[in-house]
This record gives sequence, C-alpha cells and structure tokens, in this order.
Amino acid sequence: MSILYNSWMIRVRLPQKQKELEVPGPRRVMDLLADAGVRPSTVIVTQGKKLLTKDMRVEDGETIDVISVVSGG
Amino acid sequence: MKCKRCRKAAAAIELPSHHSAFCPECFFVFFKRQVREGIRKHRLLSPGDRVLVCVSGGKDSLVLWDVLMEMGYETEGLYIDLGIEGYSERSREKVEAYARERGKRPVVVELAKEGIPIPEAARCIRMQECSICGTVKRYFFNRVAAEGGFDVVATGHNLDDECARLLGNLLHWQRDHLARQHPYLPESGAGLVRKVKPLWRVSELETAAYGFLKGIDYVTEECPMSVHATSLVYKEALSLIEESMPGSRIVFYQGFLDEGNPLRRAAESGAADGGEADGGTEGGEAPHPCAACGAPTYAETCTYCRLKELVRKRREGRSKEAAG
Repeated sequence: MSILYNSWMIRVRLPQKQKELEVPGPRRVMDLLADAGVRPSTVIVTQGKKLLTKDMRVEDGETIDVISVVSGG
Repeated sequence: MKCKRCRKAAAAIELPSHHSAFCPECFFVFFKRQVREGIRKHRLLSPGDRVLVCVSGGKDSLVLWDVLMEMGYETEGLYIDLGIEGYSERSREKVEAYARERGKRPVVVELAKEGIPIPEAARCIRMQECSICGTVKRYFFNRVAAEGGFDVVATGHNLDDECARLLGNLLHWQRDHLARQHPYLPESGAGLVRKVKPLWRVSELETAAYGFLKGIDYVTEECPMSVHATSLVYKEALSLIEESMPGSRIVFYQGFLDEGNPLRRAAESGAADGGEADGGTEGGEAPHPCAACGAPTYAETCTYCRLKELVRKRREGRSKEAAG
C-alpha cells in the first residue's frame, strides 16, 4: 500500500506517537507544535540533519519530525 | 535567530533558562562546560578514574559516554539486557553499534540468562516492573564495577530526572530518599562503588539536542514498562512551571544540593548511615557479604538473591500447575 501526501502542505511527523499531520503553510515551528498538541519544552524539532528553533518558518511541501525528549525511567 | 555566543551562525537551539541561543558548534562548547562544571562542583570524577558508564541505548546514557570519552576519561560501557521483547533487542543494537564505531565493546548482562528477565519476574511475583528493574540494575552496577576494578559508576540522569525525583520525594516526605539524592554517592567499601550523575546540570532537551547534533543514533522509543511511571507526571508538572518561569528547575535542584539548605541537613541527619547497602541499616552496623552471592547486605541474603529465588520458585510452581 502506498500513501500519497499532499506536497502543498507541511508534513509533521511524530514518530514516537506513530502520528502524522498535514498542515497548510507557511507556519512557524511553535504554531505547528500547538497544532499537534505538543509542549515546546518536551520535544526537539528536526528537518533532515538540521535542528529547528521554535521561531523558524516552515514552508508548504516541507517535512519536519517532532521527537519527544521525555523519558520515564 | 542568531547564535548569541558567536553572533554569526544561525541558532539551532534556544535555551530560555540560560537567556541564550546557540549554533551547533557553540552549543557543543556550552554543553561540555555544563557537564564539566557539574563534575567540578561536586568532585564527581578524578582524571585517572576508570569509569563504568551504564548505557541503555537512550539519549542520556549514550551522550554521557560520548562526552566523558571526549573529555579523556577511561570509560567502558555496561548494557543490561532487561529481556523486554523487541525493545531490549533494539536498544542493545544501538549500544553495540555506538560502541563498535568507537572501537569499544560494552559489557553485556542478559537478565534472561541470569534467570530474572524483568517482564516475567514482574508477572511471577506481582511487583511493579520499574521497582524490580531498579533493584536488579543497582545490583549489577555494583557487581560489574567491583569485578572489573572500576573506580566509579556513571549514569545518565539529567536535570529533569533529578528534579522529578526531588519533587516526588518532597511530595511524599521521603526523608531517607532525600538524604540519598545527590549526583555523588560515595563508595562504602565492600563492593559498593562510588556512583555519579555527571549530567545533573543539563536538561533532557539539551541532551537530546546534543545527541542529535552529534549524530549519535539513540533509541527514541520509550521503555514499554515505563508508560505509567509516576516520574512522567512530575516531569509534566515541572515542564509547565519551567515554560512559565524559565530556569526554575536548576534553581530547584541546585538549591536542594546547597550544603546550607536546612531541609537537606535535616534529611541527612535523620537518615541512617551506611550509604546504599542492600536491606537498610540498623544503628550504623556494617554490611556483611550475602550468603548466596557475596554482595554487601544487612540481611542474610541480598535483595537481588531473594528476588531471584522468589521468581525461580514461582516459575516452578506455575510450570507444575500448567503440567498438572
């Protein structure tokens, strides 16, 4: 099965929650985190090998990964 | 946003608690300074120490191993395979791959081979997985360190871990736990090695960012046994406070460690001495070797051996029931 993604949207991946969102851009990282219901201090946001600060703007067609940093051990 | 240190490169991370933002190169400098300061402040390590680094495959422990190696400490990794299906294999792969790339081979303890894999042990004796895990890990930290001639055991506990633990201990007024909460736990002779937490000044977010920017491939999934861990509730509460009042966490924990803190003094004077030898202390009595394994304990056999024996008996009982 293949999944087709809308290349005119921002793709937000949350791998630990096995969840993905598509959000119309452009949008700042902090707003995308609010869309995803994620607290900024609990995650790092990455794009490929880059780490994004919360004020950065993400454009349509781009993908970001939201990685939780909270461990329970 | 520009890096506030070099003022040239674009910032990769913003740290409101330090009123700062750093590009990757300057963040590495900042991070290592924080770790170095944490080590210096409580004299956690000496230059000639042989350090046993406890690695789980997660960000904190692999970052700790990485930083200590870069700082020039003589280190070896210890991985404890908890026997959790899927998760343990994936974590172990990360540890072994990390070590291999640096010409190292971690010491591996397999709890399944030891007869006490965590999920099965928890089922057999109806005890919380995290509680068994803590006991078993502490036992092997001491045993491997003592057998391997290590001076010190280092764990990857970070500022968030320590603050969550402190909040939990305060909420329940756990005076004996408060007395023992410190990034430095001294050795207490007979098989109890010094334990240190060199990452106590850096947050979870900083550790994750460091690991990512350094290209350290760590396991991002959480231990399936820790889904309902109470520490997650405390962390949630603390991150809410930290977001409204940046810097609260470090003030909270540093204030607790302050020697002049009357709460700390009261907790210390109220707790029994003897460090963390197994089974508690009675009036300053010295620990003696466990009758089964020789580890220091105040009881006849140590908690680990009693636990293991209980699991073995229950397992046998279950097998007989299933067969009959």
